[in-house]
Formats: sequence, C-alpha cells, structure tokens
Amino acid sequence: MKTQLAMVIDASRCWDCKACMAACKTANKVPEGQWRNWIKSVDLDLVEPGGGRLIFQPGNCMHCSEPLCIKACPTGATYRNEADGTVLINRELCIGCGQCLPACPYGARFRHAELRVADKCDFCAERRAAGLEPACVATCPTKARAFGNLADPESEVARLLKRNESVQLVQAKSPTDPNIRYLGNPGRTDWPVEAQMPSAFGFWKNVAGPVVKIFVGFSALGFGAMLAKQLFLPDHPEEDRQPEEKRHE
Amino acid sequence: MNNRMIRRHGPGGIFIHWFNAVCWFFLLATGLGLIKNPDLQPLGPWWPNFMNSLFGGGETLLAVHWGTGAVWAGIWLIFILAGLLRYTAPFLRQIFSYHLSRDLEWMIKKPFQMILGTKAMAALVRPLGWDGNMPEQGFYNVGQKAAAVAMAAGGLVLVITGVIMTLSKYFLSPNQVPMVQWSITIHFIAAGLTFGVLLIHIYMAAVSREERPAFISMFTGTVPEDYAAHHHGLWYEEVKNSGK
Amino acid sequence: MGTNQPLTLSRRNFLKVAGAAAAAGTGLIRPNSANSATPEAPSFESKYSVCDMCFNKCSLIARVRNGVVEKLDPNPKFHKSRGMLCARGNAGVRQLYDPDRLKSPLLRKGERGEGKWQRLTWDQALDHAAEQLLKIGEQYTRCGVMFMAGADMQSTFVHRFADVYGSYNKLSHESMCLIAGTRGFLDTFGEVPIPDMQYTKYVVMSGANRFEALVTPDSMDLMKAMAGGCKLVVLDPRYTKTAALAHEYFPVRPGTDMAVMLAFAHVLITEGLYDREFVEQKCYGIEQLAEHVKQYSPEWAEKECEIPAEAIRRIAREMAAAAPQAMIYPGRRSSNYRNSTQIRRAYAIVNALLGNWDRPGGLTAARMVGLKSPGYDAPFYESNPFERIDHGVAKLMFEEEGSLKIARDAVLREEPYPVKGFFTYKTNPMQTAANRSKTIEMIRKLDFMCTVDIVMSDTAWMADLVLPSQAAFERTDPCSAQQGSSACACVVMRDPVVSDPLFESKPVFWMMKELADRLDLGEYFDLSIEEYRKEQLRDLPGAMDALINDGVYYNPSKLYGVYEGRIFKTKTHKIELFNETYQQMGLDPLPVYESPTAPPKNQFRMVVGRTATITQSSSQNNSLLQEFEPENDLWIHPDSAAALGIHDGDPVTVSGKVGEQRIRARVTRRTRPDTVYMHTGYGVLSKGLSRLQGKGACIAQVLEDGLDEISGNMAMHETFVKITKEKKS
Repeated sequence: MKTQLAMVIDASRCWDCKACMAACKTANKVPEGQWRNWIKSVDLDLVEPGGGRLIFQPGNCMHCSEPLCIKACPTGATYRNEADGTVLINRELCIGCGQCLPACPYGARFRHAELRVADKCDFCAERRAAGLEPACVATCPTKARAFGNLADPESEVARLLKRNESVQLVQAKSPTDPNIRYLGNPGRTDWPVEAQMPSAFGFWKNVAGPVVKIFVGFSALGFGAMLAKQLFLPDHPEEDRQPEEKRHE
Repeated sequence: MNNRMIRRHGPGGIFIHWFNAVCWFFLLATGLGLIKNPDLQPLGPWWPNFMNSLFGGGETLLAVHWGTGAVWAGIWLIFILAGLLRYTAPFLRQIFSYHLSRDLEWMIKKPFQMILGTKAMAALVRPLGWDGNMPEQGFYNVGQKAAAVAMAAGGLVLVITGVIMTLSKYFLSPNQVPMVQWSITIHFIAAGLTFGVLLIHIYMAAVSREERPAFISMFTGTVPEDYAAHHHGLWYEEVKNSGK
Repeated sequence: MGTNQPLTLSRRNFLKVAGAAAAAGTGLIRPNSANSATPEAPSFESKYSVCDMCFNKCSLIARVRNGVVEKLDPNPKFHKSRGMLCARGNAGVRQLYDPDRLKSPLLRKGERGEGKWQRLTWDQALDHAAEQLLKIGEQYTRCGVMFMAGADMQSTFVHRFADVYGSYNKLSHESMCLIAGTRGFLDTFGEVPIPDMQYTKYVVMSGANRFEALVTPDSMDLMKAMAGGCKLVVLDPRYTKTAALAHEYFPVRPGTDMAVMLAFAHVLITEGLYDREFVEQKCYGIEQLAEHVKQYSPEWAEKECEIPAEAIRRIAREMAAAAPQAMIYPGRRSSNYRNSTQIRRAYAIVNALLGNWDRPGGLTAARMVGLKSPGYDAPFYESNPFERIDHGVAKLMFEEEGSLKIARDAVLREEPYPVKGFFTYKTNPMQTAANRSKTIEMIRKLDFMCTVDIVMSDTAWMADLVLPSQAAFERTDPCSAQQGSSACACVVMRDPVVSDPLFESKPVFWMMKELADRLDLGEYFDLSIEEYRKEQLRDLPGAMDALINDGVYYNPSKLYGVYEGRIFKTKTHKIELFNETYQQMGLDPLPVYESPTAPPKNQFRMVVGRTATITQSSSQNNSLLQEFEPENDLWIHPDSAAALGIHDGDPVTVSGKVGEQRIRARVTRRTRPDTVYMHTGYGVLSKGLSRLQGKGACIAQVLEDGLDEISGNMAMHETFVKITKEKKS
C-alpha cells in the first residue's frame, strides 16, 4: 500500500499554549529565534473582545503532494520521500542557497542559523524511526493534532477525515495539495502567500539554458560535421601539403 | 628530409593540460549530475539519476564535485604561482597579444581551409587580395589564443562561483544568499559556454588530421620542424634565431 | 597551500569523498538512496521522571543519549495530564542545563543584594549555617528562624527540619496563591472539592484562566468537554485566551464577582431553579440564603459588575437546565481581594444550589490514594513561644501553610517576638509577594538568611548564604500523591535521569540531613529517600512496580456517590450555605457584598495573571520559554492610553502607593479601560539571571500587600496605579 503521512488538525481545540513549538524546538534542535511550527490567529490585541470563539491554528510544513519548494531547489536536496510522501531536506546536498524559502506559500522554511542549510518540519523523521509520534503530536495537551497514514483507511487521520468536513489551506495562485487537513473551522485562511520562484532560475530556464544549449549545439554540430567529412570524404593530402612545400622552396 | 623534432611543451605543461582535461570532464559530469531540478537539467533526468546511482546519492556526488573542484583549482593555483615569471606571465602575454590584420586574415581563412580545402579557400579569399597561404602565427595561432582566453576566463568564473556556492553553507549570512543564487546560474552558464569552446578545441587538436602533430606533442612535448614552420611560422623563426 | 585543501568539507563529507572515490574506482554502483531516505533510529534511553516546571508534577519520559537529556515527552500512561507535556514541561531540558545554574555554595561578602559573593566548600557552608541557626536559636528561641518551602517533592524535608529544629514558623507559597479559595470551599462543603470537568455541560469561569494557567486535568478536560458541547462562560477583566475561546465572555468589573454569584443565587432561588431535593437533604441554611439574596437581583448586579441583567438571568437559567452537570469553576489562585474567602464562598454556594456535588460533571470529593507520611516525634523546646509568629490576625488561617503577608509584617515589627533567621527553598517571595520593598525591609531585619535554589533568584540574591540545589532530573525524590478527578488519584516519584549532577549541586534532603547532624538532630534524618519511599508505599503493594514500569501508580476508587450515606465534615454535617461558625467568630455567615472602590480618576486597578509559558517567577530566564515572553509590558486599553497620550511601545512609569516601575506600554483591547496588567517575574534585581537583565518590570514592586482577613491570603488586586508617559530622552 502507498503511504502518505499526514496531519489532521482540529484548530478549535488549540489554546495557543506553545507546547508544540517548544516540543519541536527541543526534538529537532531548532536554533533560537527560528521555528519549524507555529500557531496562527488574529491579533488578540486588536480584536473586539467577546465577539465569539477565536480559533488558534497550529501548523507546520504541509508536506504537499505538489510541493513548490522542490522546483526551487537546484540540487534535489529538497525532495519528496517516495516511501511515505513527506517532503524532506537532504542537509548534505543542500548548499544553503535559500531559494526554496520564498517558494513555500506557508513560510514553512527557514535557513538554519547554525547549519546554514534550509530547514523545516520533517514530521520528526528521527523520532518516527524510533517508533515515536512527531513531538508536537505527542505533546499536545488537547490532542488537537492527529498524525498517520492517509492512505490507510484504518488510520486515525483517515477516520477523522471520513467522519468530518475538512479543509486544506491553499493560496489560489500556488496550489500545492497540502497534507495537513484542518477539521471544521480552520480559523485564518488569509495568510498563505503566492510562492515566489527564484529569479536566478527563471533566467536560467528561459535565457541561460537555451543560449548554452544553442552554443554547445553549434559547437557539437561543427564537430560532428567536420568529423564526418574527415571520415567519409576523400582526402587530398597533396593539396594540403602544397603551401608547406612552397614555403620550403 | 631533415625533419628534426623541436621541443614545444615541457613536462609541467603536459601534466597540467591532461590534469585539467581529466578534472574538467569529471567536474562536468558530476556537476551536470547535481542538477536534479528538471526545469534546469539540460540533459533530462536520466543523467542525474545515473550519476546519483553511481555515487550512491546526491550528497556524495556533491562532496566529490566539491573535492575535485578544490583539488583542480588548488593544483592550478600552485602551477600558476610556481612559474609565475617563467611560464605564467609569458603564457598570458602570448594569449593576449594579437596582430589585428594577420589574426583576422587567419580567422577568416582557417574555417574555409578546414571545410573546403586550401584550393577553394585560396579562390575564395582572392577578391580580398590574399593568397592561399595561412598568415604566419606565433607559438599559438589566433584560434588557440581565443580558446585559451575563453577557457581561462570560464575557469576563473567557475572557480569564483564555485567557491561562493561552497562557502554558502559554512560562512555566508542570509543577506549574502542572493549572491549564491546567482552563482549557481552563472556557474552553469560558464560551464556551458566553456564546454562549447572546448568542443572546438578538442576537434582541432585531437580529431583534425592537420593538427595531429600538435596532439602528439601533448604527450611527447615535441613537434616536427616542418609542422612548426608551417603552423607557427613566427615561433619557428624565433626558435631558429635563438640558435637552436 | 590553503586553497587546494578541501577545507570546506566536513570530516564526514571528506570521508564520503574518499568512499565515493573508492566506489567509483572499483566500479561499485550503490543504490540511489536520496528519494527514500529513512534516518537512523536514535539510540536513546527512555526514563520516567516527573516534571518540575510547575506544581502539576506531570509524569514524563526523558529521552537520554550519552547521559544527556535530549528531549522530554509526556508519559501516555499518566492520565492526570491526559498524556500531555506543555511548553514549560518541554523546556525542562533547558532548566537542567541552564548555564545560570548555581555552581557552588556562596557566602555574601558585601551588602545584602550587592552581589559580592565568596565561594565556600560544602563543609564551610554547612558549618556556617549550623552556627547561625544555633546562635539565633539561643538568642531568640528556635522560633526565631522562619522556614519557607515551595511546591517541591523534597519540601517535606525542609518542614521536617523546621520541626525538629524547633520552629513553628513554616510557610508555604499558598498564602500568596489559593488559600482563600480553599477556605471558602472548605467552609461550605467541609472539604475542598475537585471539579469533574470532563463530563460537565456548563461552566462559568470567574477568577480563573484555565486555558493559560494550566491545571491538570482540568484544562484538558474542559477543552474535551467543550468539543463535546459543553458551554463555557468566562468573566474576567482581561480578555485572556480562555476568554477568547469561551462561548461567552464578559469583561467583569474587577472585584465584583461576588455580585454575579449572589445574583445567580437570587435567580436560582426566586425562580425555583435550584436542586430542591439536594438542597433540602444536604444543605444547611437555604432559608437564610433565600432571604439574604433577595436584595441581589440581576438588575442590581448589573450596576456593580457591568454584566447585563438579562445575561445573568439567562446564564443562571442555562446552568440550572444543565445541572447537575454545570458548575461555577472553583478556580485556584484566589489571592485577589480583602474578601476573597467570602467571594469564593459565594462560588461554593451557587454550586451547592446546582446540586452538582458528588455527581458527574460537578464537584467531586477528593480521593485519598493511601500514601503514608512517615512520622517523627519532634523534640520539644521549652523556651519557645506558644504560637506562630503570624498567629491571631487572620481568623481562619491554615496553620500548616501560614501567611507570608502577616508573618512579614510581624518580622518587621518584631511582634509578637523577633524572628532573625530565614531559610527558603524553591520559593521566590522577592518576586511573588506583593510589595517588594517590604520584603527587602524584612530581609534587612534578619541576622541570617539562607536560600536553596538552582539559580540565583531574586530571593537568593538577597540571602547571606546561597546553596545550590540539584535540578529535578538529578535527584532521587520521595513519592508524591496527586488528586486527579476523573483521571483518578495517583502517585508519582522521581529517580535520577542523569547520573552526574552538574557542578557541586546537592539535594535539599542531603543539606537538611547534614545540618541536622551538625545540630545534634541527626537521629531525625537517619533515613534514605529509598527507605522513606518504602515507608510511604507501605499500604500500597504493587505501587513500586507500577512506578517503575509505568511511571505512575493508580489507586482506583469510587468517583461519584462517595457521599452516599456519609455526613459532611462541617459543624452541621451538611453543606453550609449559612455558616454558623463564621457567625460565632463575628464573620458574615453568608457572603455580604461590598462594592469595591472604583479607581480614582486617571488611576487604574492593577491585576495579576498567568500565561501558559510562564510559571510564577521561576521560568522567565529559561532560554526556550523566554522566546515566547522575552519581557513583560503594561497592558492598557486604547481609550485609556489615548487619554494619557500613550502609544503602543511607549515607555511609561507605573506608580502606586508602595512603589513604581518603568515598563513599555502595550496598548491592547485585552484589558478593561479601568484595569492594567503585567506578567509576574520580570524586572529582576539578581545579576545571576543573565537572560533577564534589563527586561521588563517587577509587578511585586508596585502591588500593595492587601490581606484577606479570614484566610490570611495576600490580596493582590487592591492596588491602584498611575500611569505616566516617560519623556522621550
């Protein structure tokens, strides 16, 4: 069976206690000032108190089925793990060029302050290898987060989605098919931004690539033509030697 | 025939040439293998897939590319510095010294000569007041000089952008990252254009029968006297006059 | 030559280069692993322990690699926390490895609070302490030393030491926390009930902030209940996160909660909505109550609390409809007003009218887990005075908790007798007790103050001798019993998670034992923690196995209907709506409403509160938690700020009768126009808390130390302050 790991979040259960953020930070040794996950809400300082229940929306990398970040990576350091459908970063292969950061509509990526490579949620790959749930899921006081294999109809996430209405958070111009689903009212949906693909890559794809291909193509064509001439057309050694002999006279 | 052999390349020159050639192709192969992004990969996904399999993963490939690049640039640097006055400066003087009318004539005649033969070339250039003889050339002909300039410049750009990309992960701060982003693209352009020039160089040197002695000289270090006189007349004169 | 070395490669990469070269050389083709990577499983040990970041004592699992705690996870078998670990719990790793931890015993060299210290060996430090304790004991009697210990699994040994040393003057933190609420409910129900949040259908929460000030399992159970349809109504002068998540929120005028409760009682009685059968059988004084609350109509209450009368009436009816699965949430911290005990008694009375006692979704009886407290016969000291130093002021003070407010005043006056020694463990009155100047003044009166802590808290900063305690994960601790409502009463204990304690730190148990030896009291500490635990678990066979295997021991017992056929532990053996004891003592037998004084013009009432990432004053210097609350600011309503010309972020001076502080203003709709607020625990004096230097302001410096005259609880919401904009320099 195909595996697609996913998170199903009931935002109405979140009370913004930051346990998931603290758990993630220690589990993944995320540097000070940087976070792999977040809790979004309206600005409480500005909202009119008593206007009904607010929603705090926990989130992290959405492990999209159509990830745009991959398209912004030159080396393939960001890739979709075929084994479980997660989007991962190979730190050894990442050169820290940072082009994937604005390519994520959710701002899930950051340049690791100490390692200087791209970083983001990996659904706690190391913990999962040890048979543990992702840190944020395990620690959540209200169990607002469920985690599991979406492709397995017996999994908690699949059952939750079967029983309840759910939504994905998608920016209209940057469809990604995210694998975080929000049950019921997700709260704010206005925050994902249009993905910014790297301009250096636009130039590469549209200008540099064709120019280089044409140039190398002509070179190769000339090479091939001359080689063919040399191999298949009759040779005129005397003719070629003639001027040389002249010189010696 | 008194076709004696004239020394054209020393062992250092021969070494650096072939060292460069091997590194260049290895770096080209591994570098292309690193471009996993299908939007950017000029050869299609088969090449990075093949290279990744060969090296057991992109991270190894990258490490190998970095390591080879560092060794390549390092050896070059040693070579350049070790003979700064003895050969580096003369070489640079050689490849940057052009004789406008003579070199232009050579550049126009050479392709016709190669493609159509000397006779046809002579007929073609007659309206310009030229005969079928190639203008005299120095140690390098103008084509070689242009290729050398292109490859040196390409190499320099590749080293600089390569170093920037490598440093990114170890030293560069987030606001220096745009430099890295453009370095990737420029690295690719430099490699591509230099490779185009390299193809011509390879044909001229290794395939073309006419230049066969030069090719052989990259192993033996010597060329026959008649070849030298014919292809590098000015240099031949110099050698002769220096009393050899 | 530098450039031709692969200096940019890590060692690991470099080895890979070598490996790849070898692989390429031998023509080996390795499979492409990049697209289906599975990281190696980390090889950590998992050890049970108990969280030390707040009083909840959640069981947890420490993941330890090479002797280093890397991560703390909740213990899924620990039902009281519902298998969770909050942000603070997760940050426990940073507490253990806090670079600011105390490293050795320190003796004050300069003036108190000057920060000049001399490093001592443990022998020197303990000899010095013993000498001082003896000296004070001889000069001022043994009661001349006051002991204060916070909520900790080893605090019991500090109390034991105080007892055998011979001082009655033992204080807990509770007189700055919850004793007014405890008193109010105890004097109504005869015991302190545990709310059964999980199965409740309707909660009115007043004077509590359960989604920020997390209490296990109440907080989690309430959220679960709400997912199942429970309605939450929150009354709070501040728009807390609990308020933001409530179905209904009312920014109640501070100090008027009793008016709302009395109006609820009014509606329930006048409309005949209360549980008649229950009240007739189980309660005492319904007639007096009915007569008393006649005057407290919702329309009357509206003028006091600024909640619409129709809303009060409707909520009372909705509660009655949901009863007995409805409650006025009892709350916890009630160190608010001069009459907090009576306010909380009003909460208790409404609960009684709802008939929710001993029933699902209501208030349930506490359950004893059966842990023994190993006893001892403390020696008798003839020279000692008859009473505690804080005796006789608050009419119904809990002798085992004391009252810091009263004790501090007594030390200052040297009445009824002088107290010249002060020993504190894991408590920080310099930050948590209102009126910091008075605390400093009290400390200046002392001959000797010894503080045991893991960091240089503000209290340690003022001490004469500072002793470094071990962090929780380094210690062997006794068993601790916990109430858990529907999660069941349980026991937890702590064994060391790391084998080597950092620096020269020692457990307070060891310090007490060593001091006892030096004072010829060694016989009272002739035990080990292991033996102590065995004694504690004497009647609980299998408990130790459960603690080792599961990290928690449960002792299941009946949860509802416990009081069937049982009397209440009150004078009338019933739930006392009308309290005759109070009447006899000259206290109001029924809660009588007094309207709180409104703040004078251009002044504000200052209130105290909590967030989910701060524990009182102990966690602000934690490197992880500080990222959530780097410093505190002054919450002020936009209308009030505008009137004073204050903009968001402006530096302001907050000044009250007892002190002033400088702080940045946070202009927010989250507080009432007549109320201001700041987090506790900033504006520290100690230079030993490196991450807090120059951060925020100290609320304890501004708060006046009011007194709840029934319980001795400090009343911290009785302060009016002026806010003035600082002139920009």
